[in-house]
Amino acid sequence: MRYKKEAKYLLLATLTLAIVALLSLLWGQYQIDMSTFVEYLNYKLFSKGEIDSQTFTLIDNIILEIRLPRVLLAILLGAALSTSGAVFQAMFVNPLVSPGILGVLAGASFGAACGMLLSDSWLIVQVLAFAFGFVAVGFAVLIGSMVTNSRSTVMLVLGGVISAALFTSLLSIIKYVADPYSTLPAIVYWLMGSLSMAQLNEVAFVAIPILLSITGMIFMSKYFDLMSLGDEEAKALGVNVKLIRIVAIILATLASSLSVVMAGIIGWVGLIIPHIVRMAVGPSHRLLIPLSAIVGGAFLLLADAISRLALSVEIPIGILTSLIGIPIFIIVLKNARAAWN
Amino acid sequence: MELKPIISVKDLHFSYKNHQVLSGVNLELYRGEIVSLLGPNGCGKSTLIKLILKLIKGKGEIAIDGKPLQNYSHKDIASHVAYIPQYNNTPFNYSVQEMVVMGRVSKLDFFALPSAHDYKVADKALQKIGIEHLKSRAFGQLSGGQKQMVLLARAIAQEVNVFIMDEPVAGLDYGNQIRLLELISELGSEGYTFLKTTHYPDHALLVSSRVVVMNGGVVICDGAPEDVISKQMIEDVYNIKADIIMHDSHRRCVPIFERKREAI
Repeated sequence: MRYKKEAKYLLLATLTLAIVALLSLLWGQYQIDMSTFVEYLNYKLFSKGEIDSQTFTLIDNIILEIRLPRVLLAILLGAALSTSGAVFQAMFVNPLVSPGILGVLAGASFGAACGMLLSDSWLIVQVLAFAFGFVAVGFAVLIGSMVTNSRSTVMLVLGGVISAALFTSLLSIIKYVADPYSTLPAIVYWLMGSLSMAQLNEVAFVAIPILLSITGMIFMSKYFDLMSLGDEEAKALGVNVKLIRIVAIILATLASSLSVVMAGIIGWVGLIIPHIVRMAVGPSHRLLIPLSAIVGGAFLLLADAISRLALSVEIPIGILTSLIGIPIFIIVLKNARAAWN
Repeated sequence: MELKPIISVKDLHFSYKNHQVLSGVNLELYRGEIVSLLGPNGCGKSTLIKLILKLIKGKGEIAIDGKPLQNYSHKDIASHVAYIPQYNNTPFNYSVQEMVVMGRVSKLDFFALPSAHDYKVADKALQKIGIEHLKSRAFGQLSGGQKQMVLLARAIAQEVNVFIMDEPVAGLDYGNQIRLLELISELGSEGYTFLKTTHYPDHALLVSSRVVVMNGGVVICDGAPEDVISKQMIEDVYNIKADIIMHDSHRRCVPIFERKREAI
């Protein structure tokens, strides 16, 4: 079989993800032990076995209302940010970019805050988040290409920094004009980033576009290899560069913008996960994209578990991913800098 | 029957930021030829190649297999012509096998992944060039010569007849330059068609069936290597003196080293 190696890695990663997910369902302020969980599942799914109704209701509530939506959301957002990061890196032939660095997350948070200010509609919040996420990446690219014509790794990163700074300031204006008793606290709390507010129906609503865009990126993965050689080589090898680039950027922006709508700005995941996966299995996007999705899901789930369990109060997830991500990225930088010149 | 050119270029113009790069270039490439494009820096050689590959757009007529270039998508072009660029490092370090398999993408449907057949074609291409031992190595860690060999293998995996090379020996050490020229000559005798730019009139004499010289955005000579590469041409185009000598039944171009040279 041709893709044995790929299948092996994907299976291994999925298994790890499943174990982390199971532990996340069981662990928390109320610990559920394995045997109780098995009894619960047995009764819930097959109406078999013995479980007293009080325990059943309690566990049913904890799992369905609190832990399962949170687990699913963590996996979904981790996957969204990591695949987007990998795709942005290929599209711009630049291993230093990510949804955060390109300004997408800042743009999306500005858009989402606008939405919250203007309307109660969940859909409008999502649409504005995506629209401004897209504007932000466009602005970053524009600034990056203004100074030099040639593709410059550093200029694009600087463009992203500027774009992110712009939308962060615009967001401050929104905060300034927002009603300090209702809208402002909502915006601030949401921006800090937390998965704790997740509800199953909300997760399902955002899951559809995120899963669609991740699937799209997986299906396009063979083109990302060619695009990461640069435009000319990709064209000469038969790629419709303009089409692939615009579709890929839209999908990556959609997935990462929606993560902002659900849980605020979660930085670093989109930057470090593709690097870690690349170091483990090589740069071929056929494996990199799907594997980043799974590993990213597992990573964010783990980070969320730490944020819930480490202290008696919950640490915002965005803070935690930065604290974990920064040292990892320093190691990555040290190992990989030779290839970036 | 009249022979039809694979690639024909008629009255091609191109300007970049008010600077006229090409002003009326005509060129035809026939099956089985090895054509060397000579000319000083900035004469428009690389621009011409990019225009033929539709990487940039100019004014004039270009046709591949008799059909105007406008009617070709990049995918169509890639199934007629393979481009072997001067290697540049990508920040993502693919293996040699992955690099060569990328030559197969133009043959695949939109959602299809490279199949076992595509990998077989890639492996055969590596064997043909004699570098199958490099298959699992990282492309970025290869020497310049090995990289050019890998890109040639990728072109072979594209299963096309025409190879366009932009200064294939640039940056290679002396031995690798000669070995690459030998390889091009060998592939040429198997029927592959080459259009390559070069800075070395001597290389053009060694490996070409035809030489085209460009200067100032136009073609100034086009013909058999022994007719085109002369003392006079070298002096006119490069502003140096050279001798054309016979060595081992080959014509060679040897530049004359003058100690007192006017400033370059």
